Amino acid sequence: MEEALIRVVDLCKIYNPGENEVRALDHVNLQIDRGEFVAIIGQSGSGKSTFMNMLGCLDVPTSGEYYLNGTDVSTMKDNQLSVVRNKEIGFIFQGFNLIANLTAIENVELPLIYRGIDRKTRKQLAVESLTMVGLEKRMHHKPNEMSGGQQQRVAIARAIAAKPPVILADEPTGNLDSASSKEILGILKDMHKTGKTVILITHDNGIAAQAKRVVRIMDGKIESDLINEQFDSEEEDL
Amino acid sequence: MSSIYEYIKMAVHNIMANKGRSFLTMLGIIIGIASVIAIVSIGEGTKNQMNSEISDVGGGQIYINCSSDAQTDDEWILPGDIEAVRAMDGVEGVSISETYEGETVTGKGNFKLYVTAEGQDAKLINNANMKHGVYFGENEVNEGKNVCVISDSDAKRLFGTDDVVGMTLDVTCYGLTKSFRIGGVTTQKENGTFVSYTYEGMPVTINVPYTAMNDLTGNMDYFYSMTIQADKSLDTQKVADEVVRLLEKRHQSAGEDYFQVQNFQDVMKSMNDMLGMVTAFISFVAGISLLVGGIGVMNIMLVSVTERTREIGIRKSLGAKTSSIMLQFLAEAAILTAIGGIIGIVVGIAGGFGICTLISASMEMTIQPGISPSTILVATLFSCAVGVFFGIYPARKAARLSPIEALRRN
Repeated sequence: MEEALIRVVDLCKIYNPGENEVRALDHVNLQIDRGEFVAIIGQSGSGKSTFMNMLGCLDVPTSGEYYLNGTDVSTMKDNQLSVVRNKEIGFIFQGFNLIANLTAIENVELPLIYRGIDRKTRKQLAVESLTMVGLEKRMHHKPNEMSGGQQQRVAIARAIAAKPPVILADEPTGNLDSASSKEILGILKDMHKTGKTVILITHDNGIAAQAKRVVRIMDGKIESDLINEQFDSEEEDL
Repeated sequence: MSSIYEYIKMAVHNIMANKGRSFLTMLGIIIGIASVIAIVSIGEGTKNQMNSEISDVGGGQIYINCSSDAQTDDEWILPGDIEAVRAMDGVEGVSISETYEGETVTGKGNFKLYVTAEGQDAKLINNANMKHGVYFGENEVNEGKNVCVISDSDAKRLFGTDDVVGMTLDVTCYGLTKSFRIGGVTTQKENGTFVSYTYEGMPVTINVPYTAMNDLTGNMDYFYSMTIQADKSLDTQKVADEVVRLLEKRHQSAGEDYFQVQNFQDVMKSMNDMLGMVTAFISFVAGISLLVGGIGVMNIMLVSVTERTREIGIRKSLGAKTSSIMLQFLAEAAILTAIGGIIGIVVGIAGGFGICTLISASMEMTIQPGISPSTILVATLFSCAVGVFFGIYPARKAARLSPIEALRRN
């Protein structure tokens, strides 16, 4: 059998070890295959943000193993994790997290710069991904000259520019109005259709319902892991 | 290497995004570098000017004096000694130079006089340029003629004109008065800053043959000092040693140290040393301001790291390594100081020229600032070193931030 894209084994994250310890993640086991569209849902304090940090290689677990694309990343050092983040993961954050004094295209180029891609290829890839999110006419605008929806589209373009296998979206519609939210979710679905693995972290059941698989987290444990039966039919409707 | 270029680009981008603050940060470096360069160039310029003036007057000159408590003919320089030294190889001329105070009255009023009694080679020794008439020479000295030489500026003070050849001057010394015919007028050396400088009320100097002074002073058969012009191509010190040996032989006083040598090279050297020390001290103080400027850079970079914590988090989440962030911030500090350094060099050179012009104008002399490439090189390297050194701490602080911590902050 082919190795899963993401495989988490007995993952624990404990803050303040000792008497007042907080088990943000408590022996979590999860497997996500290539091309899946997974929503991870949980209330605030459920441990979903910690889980997202683990999946995104922004933090290291207290114990347990995390295999990303076949490699154990749970024991990696800071600099190795930077390389993994750059190559394997595209982040989309709730607050967009664009760099304010860079234009849209410059923001999209950032991960490519850290990848060490030459200028010409970089420009080409950035333009390509901005076109995919429909912002080819706003490439030289700065974030504060764009609407929230547009900024999030820039962030998506940045996430996909380096063509990572995993898209990790943390409450991507949290700061957006409903029209923009719909637009962003539409783009995420398109990403999924092109073969990307999309992981959506949210607290909103309505948004989670858009995904094909819904993993519910509570008190640092996986409470349920369900396939969304409506997903395929909805797709056929489109 | 291409990635270094990217970090430099990022750094420039950030500097340009905060122009006002960047300039203020640079100001400390600018002031530091500029003051070091200005001070060193003025110091060098003064030194060069002094050296050229001294070597103009005193190149190859040897000054020999007797002890001030000399009592006997053995210890004094005698007229015969002068002739003997004059006949030596490598000696181009010898003169004595004994100065007496006197006074004179002209149509312009009463003047104090310095009467300098000299020998036949006085013109050579004084490196005099004649404006009118001639300097006295061998004949005048041998015959004890009552002639004198005066500088053009002193002539103007006495008579209102420098065309005074043939006029007579009544000189009173020790209560005796004697008339001297003015035989020549010399050109006061321009820019004679350190050597001859006139001020209001300064006594007028006239030069006369020493033989002519005997009537007034009665002591022109022994002297306290003599000045020798050596062949400039020879080692002055060697000639001086030979002169002393000859004198000691003539006076049969070997080892008594009656005759002491002082040459202008010694004077030049000690003056240079002193000036060098003053320059070094002021440069040191200016260097401290450079250090303070460097700390200013560090301070601003630290503020910048705090302000841009979120940006650092974003960059790290996108795959920036610790070294990438470090290089970006280091490049920023280095570029800030490098630009500050370049502006400082320009301001320093301009300041050096400006201050030298000011000094030249106010003190009737010309000082060219001595700007050497080595000063500029050292200043540039130093400012870059300051930038890198004071950039390291903030850059490390930035690079070490954990991405989640950094992203969490607003």
